[in-house]
Amino acid sequence: MDSYSSSSPPMGASPSPEALMEQIQAQLAEAYAKELIETMREKCFDKCITKPGSSLSSGESSCVSRCVDRYLEATGIISRSLFSQQRH
Amino acid sequence: MDPSAANNPELLRFLNEEEQRVMMNEAVAKLTSVCWDKCLTSAPGSKFSPSEYSCLTHCAKRYADMSMVIIRSTQSKK
Repeated sequence: MDSYSSSSPPMGASPSPEALMEQIQAQLAEAYAKELIETMREKCFDKCITKPGSSLSSGESSCVSRCVDRYLEATGIISRSLFSQQRH
Repeated sequence: MDPSAANNPELLRFLNEEEQRVMMNEAVAKLTSVCWDKCLTSAPGSKFSPSEYSCLTHCAKRYADMSMVIIRSTQSKK
């Protein structure tokens, strides 16, 4: 890990456990967001940009926007289906 | 206070919880990717069609069922 910028301790002192936990959570959240965005790029390009033209058409743009909404919705559906206690 | 995890039970508990969370997120991410490919046959609409929705709600559980079949069948073929 690089420098603990969130709560700059005095030179030579270790970061507090709280600062460390905060930093770990922030980095994990960032990594998760990056991976989700990369996945959506692949899925939405595949579904929406079937034949790349000289620019992005308005149809393609609105498809991508719907794609992001649906993918996030799908993530919620799968998450509830895996981790909720309800019977299906 | 010593921040090293070995001497800090709170930090250790935190790290275990975060590890669990990461593993759960990864399982959801992977299954969402698989189920999206399986269930969405056309371009995304402003909502899921009834068949797409039904497919998605069943997909994860059926994948888990299938995993069990694979494990059992590889065990019986020793």
